[in-house]
Amino acid sequence: MRKFGRIAGVALLCLAVGTPAAMAKTLKFGIPLPLTGSKSKFGEIEKRSYEIAAEEINAAGGIRGMQIELDIQDSQGKPDIARAIVEKFIDVDKYPFVVGAYSSSCSKAVAAVAEERKVPYLVVTGSADDITQKGYKYVYRMNPSVAYYTGGLRGFLKEVVKPKTVAILYESSDFGTKGAKAMEKDAKKLGMKVVLKEKYESGAVDFKPILSQVKAKRPDVIYMVSYVMDASLLMRQIKELRIDAKLFAGGAAGFAIPEFIENAKDASEYVVTATLWSPQAPYPGAKAFAEKYKAKYGKYPSYHGAEAYSALYLMKDVLERAKDLGSDEIRDALAATDIVTAFGPVKFEAKEGYTNQNFMDTLVLQVIDGKHETIWPRKFATAEPKYPIPRWRDRR
Amino acid sequence: MVQLEVFLQTLISGILLGGLYAVIGLGMTLIMGVMKIINLAHGELMMVAMYIAFWLFSLLGVDPYVSLLVTIPALFVLGVVIQRTLISPVLKVDSILPENQVILTVGIGMILANLATMFFSSDYRSTPVSYAADAWYLSDYWRSSPIELSLSVPWTVSFGFALAITAALWGFLQHTDTGKAIRATAQDKDAALMMGINVERMTMVTFGLGAALVGAAGSLFIPMYYLYPALGGKFTLIAFVITILGGLGSTQGAIIGGIILGIFESMTATYIGMGWAPVGRFVIFVACLVFLPRGVAGLMKRS
Repeated sequence: MRKFGRIAGVALLCLAVGTPAAMAKTLKFGIPLPLTGSKSKFGEIEKRSYEIAAEEINAAGGIRGMQIELDIQDSQGKPDIARAIVEKFIDVDKYPFVVGAYSSSCSKAVAAVAEERKVPYLVVTGSADDITQKGYKYVYRMNPSVAYYTGGLRGFLKEVVKPKTVAILYESSDFGTKGAKAMEKDAKKLGMKVVLKEKYESGAVDFKPILSQVKAKRPDVIYMVSYVMDASLLMRQIKELRIDAKLFAGGAAGFAIPEFIENAKDASEYVVTATLWSPQAPYPGAKAFAEKYKAKYGKYPSYHGAEAYSALYLMKDVLERAKDLGSDEIRDALAATDIVTAFGPVKFEAKEGYTNQNFMDTLVLQVIDGKHETIWPRKFATAEPKYPIPRWRDRR
Repeated sequence: MVQLEVFLQTLISGILLGGLYAVIGLGMTLIMGVMKIINLAHGELMMVAMYIAFWLFSLLGVDPYVSLLVTIPALFVLGVVIQRTLISPVLKVDSILPENQVILTVGIGMILANLATMFFSSDYRSTPVSYAADAWYLSDYWRSSPIELSLSVPWTVSFGFALAITAALWGFLQHTDTGKAIRATAQDKDAALMMGINVERMTMVTFGLGAALVGAAGSLFIPMYYLYPALGGKFTLIAFVITILGGLGSTQGAIIGGIILGIFESMTATYIGMGWAPVGRFVIFVACLVFLPRGVAGLMKRS
């Protein structure tokens, strides 16, 4: 028995010595994501997309001859947990860079840690404006900030709907508050009057009281910023109350993923939403990625998937340009990024109060026959916008 | 005219919501009345029932309303088991804290919520039934109606079930031997014991009944809401407010309390702001403790 123990001990020692050599051949990506909890749908889409990208890159020879290994940890969508995960990534695992996190509040928590430890951090989906407005030197964001989410939608409103009034309903979270503010600014630019702006606590059972106020104000457009469960409840109850606005618009997130249609069913028909990407986006690899994802998981990915997928390709480009794999060298390479990914062109700029921020065109989707179709801008459209939309009473 | 429409629609929402709240509050009130303890695992029991309804729907395609036939007995059994194996032994033990059974129920709630997270993950689930967004409209029945009011199908059906369940409970307490025994136990435990009532058994039945009621509420809520493991706390709080409002242990009080709370919340959401609805809940709670310490039941007795 003792002999066996000794052999086991030696074997263990060999393993322990052996691992660092093997480690050098892999490159670990530390990524916090909400795999459980209210935002887990988004986490799932992103995790699958990261995995597809890692597989492709590894099959093509990896990065600098190293195979990618994903170290995805569950943040439950809670900033404090995301923060703890990233502290471990940096302090214990010694990763030279950090990627990901889903929500704005988590990204913000991670950004603060990364900046403090001087480790470059690529924000992939967190969209609250102020993440890249704090003058951070190690935080780079590839997705547009929430103020720019509505760029495409603004065009659609201006040229097609020409609304005079808008009602804004938003979740009292970081993302919701910023999204509502952005819409208010857009409204001013478009000459729309904001007749009602009301926030709600996520998880409310009954939206009908506030919706009957909305109904009484008769807005041309109802704009909502919500995650997925609230988004479906809102549309279901709007249908119940037969609120006939000229347009129901969502500010990305909960409105832009297939689960919205699954939960809201026919109440989701004709709803438009701002989005950052669609499978028809005219970027190299966009279509191929979307088809690959669909073949594997049965439905097209939302913009979150494209962001995650492209984030790995972006990091591949960055790491291959970096002088070596130290944090500062990686940051310098990040700053010099200028490529076109499947998600769109990425170039980090400092303007309009932002630093290290990527700016890009955004799209508009509409639910047509129970499917998200790209309707705006016209050059990327896969379907004609259905406008004007029928009144609830006349449907079916 | 438009403002009238808003008011009436809000009132309808409030009454429908209140009726459902009443069922949630009833179970807690019943347990409070007989056992003199607040069951703080109440919302978690509802969560368990909602998971049962959810799995029946997604795996077997059972309509949430049909699942009442499963959730009610299942939760009754769960309640009886919890009472016999956990609460009853603790009730008998003298301890430093007089309220240790209440603390025990908090623990039970935590265990249930964490078990649900472990087994089902903390994902949000829902039962997308085909009638989820259907409604009846006033203008469909009265063409020249100056205002448009709507009555949601799932909300109304749930409300109907809530009324039926409440009526059944009332009938049970009023007209059956067991019901009378439960009421006797609630009024005076020692006297009931001397009259030959098996108090131990009545306590067990009461806890089971309380759990079954909130189980029914779970089945009634899921067609129009959704589900996640941590949802219990919110509904425990609602039940607690209703129990206080209704006057600790009075079933009629709980029904009126539930409806008052539902209407109050809806009115707050319409006229003050939706973000204020939870605040309104606490305002009514504190106001009740200060001005009406015996709740609606106290008020009814006085008049």
